[in-house]
Amino acid sequence: MIELKGIYKWVNTGNNRTFLLKDINLSIKEGEFISIMGPSGSGKSTLLNVIGMLDEFDEGEYVFMNEPVHKLKEKQRAALYKQYIGFVFQAYHLIDELTVYENIETPLIYQDIKSSDRKAMVADILDRFNIVGKKDLFPTQLSGGQQQLVGIARALIANPRLLLADEPTGNLNSKQGEEIMDLFSQLNKDGVTIIQVTHSEKNAAYGSRIINLLDGRVEK
Amino acid sequence: MFKNYFKIAFRNLARNKIYSFINIAGLAIGLACAMLIILYVKDEISYDRFQLNADNIYRIVTHNVDKNGGKIHKEPNTGYLQGPRFMQNIPEIKNFVRIQQGNENIKLGDEVKNQELLYVDSSFFKIFSFPLVSGNVNNCLNEPLSVVMTEDAARTQFGTTNVIGRIVMMKDDSVFVPHKVTAVVKNCPQNSSIKFDMLLPIRESQADATNSENWFNSFLNTFVVLNPHSDIQSVESKMQKFYVADTKDAIISLKKQFGDVVESWKSEYHLQPLLDMHLSTELPSHNGLSGASNPMYSYILSGIALFVLLIACINFVNLTVARSVKRSKEIGIRKVVGSDRKQLIFQFLGESFLLCLIAFVMAIVFVQLSLPLFNNLSNKALALSYLFDIKLVAGYILLFVFTTLLAGFYPAIVLSGYKPVKTLYNRFSNIGKNYLQKSLVVLQFTLAAFLIIATLTIYKQFNFLTNEKLGYDDTDIVTIQKNFKTHEEAWLFKNELLKIPGIVSVAPRNGGSWSTIAKLGNDSTINFDYETVDESFLPVLKIPLALGRNFSSDFPADSANSILVNETFVKKAGWKNPIGQTVNFWYNNNKTYTVIGVVKDYHFESLNKKIGPQLFTMKPGNPYEMVFIKIKPNTASGSLMAIQKTFKQLFPLNPYSYVFMNEKNRKAYEAEAKWKQIMLFGAILTIFISCFGLFGLSVLSAEKRTKEIGIRKVLGASVNGVVTILSKDFLKLVFISLVIAIPAAWLASNKWLENYPYRISLSWSIFASGALLVILIALITVSFQAIKAALANPVKSLRTE
Repeated sequence: MIELKGIYKWVNTGNNRTFLLKDINLSIKEGEFISIMGPSGSGKSTLLNVIGMLDEFDEGEYVFMNEPVHKLKEKQRAALYKQYIGFVFQAYHLIDELTVYENIETPLIYQDIKSSDRKAMVADILDRFNIVGKKDLFPTQLSGGQQQLVGIARALIANPRLLLADEPTGNLNSKQGEEIMDLFSQLNKDGVTIIQVTHSEKNAAYGSRIINLLDGRVEK
Repeated sequence: MFKNYFKIAFRNLARNKIYSFINIAGLAIGLACAMLIILYVKDEISYDRFQLNADNIYRIVTHNVDKNGGKIHKEPNTGYLQGPRFMQNIPEIKNFVRIQQGNENIKLGDEVKNQELLYVDSSFFKIFSFPLVSGNVNNCLNEPLSVVMTEDAARTQFGTTNVIGRIVMMKDDSVFVPHKVTAVVKNCPQNSSIKFDMLLPIRESQADATNSENWFNSFLNTFVVLNPHSDIQSVESKMQKFYVADTKDAIISLKKQFGDVVESWKSEYHLQPLLDMHLSTELPSHNGLSGASNPMYSYILSGIALFVLLIACINFVNLTVARSVKRSKEIGIRKVVGSDRKQLIFQFLGESFLLCLIAFVMAIVFVQLSLPLFNNLSNKALALSYLFDIKLVAGYILLFVFTTLLAGFYPAIVLSGYKPVKTLYNRFSNIGKNYLQKSLVVLQFTLAAFLIIATLTIYKQFNFLTNEKLGYDDTDIVTIQKNFKTHEEAWLFKNELLKIPGIVSVAPRNGGSWSTIAKLGNDSTINFDYETVDESFLPVLKIPLALGRNFSSDFPADSANSILVNETFVKKAGWKNPIGQTVNFWYNNNKTYTVIGVVKDYHFESLNKKIGPQLFTMKPGNPYEMVFIKIKPNTASGSLMAIQKTFKQLFPLNPYSYVFMNEKNRKAYEAEAKWKQIMLFGAILTIFISCFGLFGLSVLSAEKRTKEIGIRKVLGASVNGVVTILSKDFLKLVFISLVIAIPAAWLASNKWLENYPYRISLSWSIFASGALLVILIALITVSFQAIKAALANPVKSLRTE
């Protein structure tokens, strides 16, 4: 599903070049549940964003679902990404001005799905996540765990093949975190490929494979 | 999708009340100004366009070359002969109509009132589009004793509009003559240069029509209708050729009488399109025509409207971009969940559209509310119903779209360009240099400062015009119009008046303004205004003499031989020793008059005109048409009653009305006074809206710098110090604005003042007070928020970080 070959990413500060990612070679198959670990500043989030096509890289090759991402134009990349990838953030990143229902619905709007279909899909996922009663509330009226549930529901609404999660439990207490991780396991069993960034060994253990990063390199 | 956008837009507006208020109120005020001014300008441009034949109607005008100065003096008036003779001899001219201003004494019940009216040719209704309510277009002005009146005039005269065949008694000379109503016409549209209550057939005697010397007597407006697509220049040259040929004999005979002066009466004939007339400053709509306007006002108003609207749009752009830090998270999320840039641009444009829509609706309400005031100030009768004109509606829609795009496009482009990775990982900051925001603030305050200084200049100049010493004393002076048959009749009235205890003195004078040309001793000629007065005129108005003596009853020969002149006359004539010089004015059979005194220059005309040469005579042949009555202070009501009683006893069949001279002088500058107010409103609005924006920016800046302020306070910064830090940046911008605005305002004010022969000098105090005002207002606006931020508890702001 994902092939990274010799990925480099750097920033120039004055005359110094600081590498964020250094020679990353990675192959991820469909159905895997990967945990990326490493200390702060090791490049975990950057790698995740590169995989999620939110961030660009300076050198190397990236093949996603048999498409060479490094050769695609911005528009094609966006289309690819829209179709296959869902994102979950540590800080949930819900739109404060929209209700739970509207937040979940937003990706569908951008995929030009008909209003009646949207209704059915959102209703379905609200039901699945047990948050039907919260659908008219605004994000600020929810607890952190509930907000993250909404965030995941939003990421999943368009049936992505790949779910990218950047410390999804980082802002949650342990009980909420466990629930989220259980949900991830369940999703993985249902066939969604998951890549998560985490600090917690416990959470990493939910995955099928752990990748350790240090200073932008994959530790062997 | 649009539903989603609008939902967000609405919630955003509701959530950020200050921001929404600033934007909507600012835009609404800006749009309202623009709408009012579009209405005004549209009305100005629409003048006379309702005339169906407007494109083919021209006014005959002349350019008179002053032999001495070589200056061209343009004259909008013509006489009896131009219309008929040009039509007979130039094939392109299909028709003509002459319009002469006049007034008649008419009986209204037992009262006699003075009715202003127009004398016109019978072709009037064939040329101009004034629809008749009743009567016949073709013959209603054929009979000499017919009268045509408007519906309003018919209602005042008879109480009904069904008045064909009814009789109006009008006094021509000394007896009342019955005139028959032959037609009733709809009231004249307000945007017509030709406005009347009553029309009478023009009175041209057979002698007048045949006397070629009448070419040189200009006192009415002549309009001609040309064949469509006529070549104006060729018609003008034909007119000129015919005029030169037709006046040959008259000039020879006049030269015998008056000498070479006659050569200087020659004119060059031109055609002024009817549609150019209303806004012409050189050839205005005067002498029976009304509504003459100055295009300068349209320019100034348009400038104000543009300024106000631009400033409101700048607020929008600045505040939206400044607020983008808050919005950036939403933008990032939207991009992550699949929005592309185009969709975001549409979303932000949608928001600005919604905001503008609300502002637009509010603006219409504002316009409706402020129209009465605006009409009063601008001397118009505009109505909101004018808005339902297709072109105007199109104009407003264009204005709306323009505003939406202007205000929304830049923020939409900038905001939609944010990178999601940056905004979502708190790596986003908008602190940067913000050159655009800063330059927009500078632009805003430059406009505001410019307008304030310009307003101060205009204000001072108009104040000067209304308060400047006129060179005579106009207090406690009542003027009465009355055409006296002889000087003796006037003096009889004067003597009767002087018996009234409240009356100090009385002076008769000619009515209106007379002017003519005279030959000086050295064979040069001089144009001058001239007044027919008696010895009491100068004392009544307290006009001092510079040299020599006033007319006096001790010198009975004064009325036949002596004249007074003003200082400008002396200067123009180049006399070193004016007393005893002689003047020979043209229609007086080479009789010369001797200068016995020099009158100090006084403003006998509007201050908008330079004092010209003026001459005073007591010549018995010239009529007295009005009297100046000086009354004792605070005796107005009693004296006026006594004056009216005396007047009615002596002249029972004449209409009586009086005017206080100082009031009339004040009224002469009514337009200036009103424009002064309009400018003031404009300047207040501009600075007000600018400060709106500055306030919004300072709120956002304080929010953005909460952490910085918190840290500074923890490290020991005082409240004063923090306020200074927060205010300094904005004040710097205001200073830059002033540096740009002051020279620009100086140039513009200077240019504008050149229109006035008597003007204030541009002192530094105007600029200083303008600048100080701007700085002060800006300081108050900014420091309000800065103080609030500085007083906040740092623990709170730091904990939320």
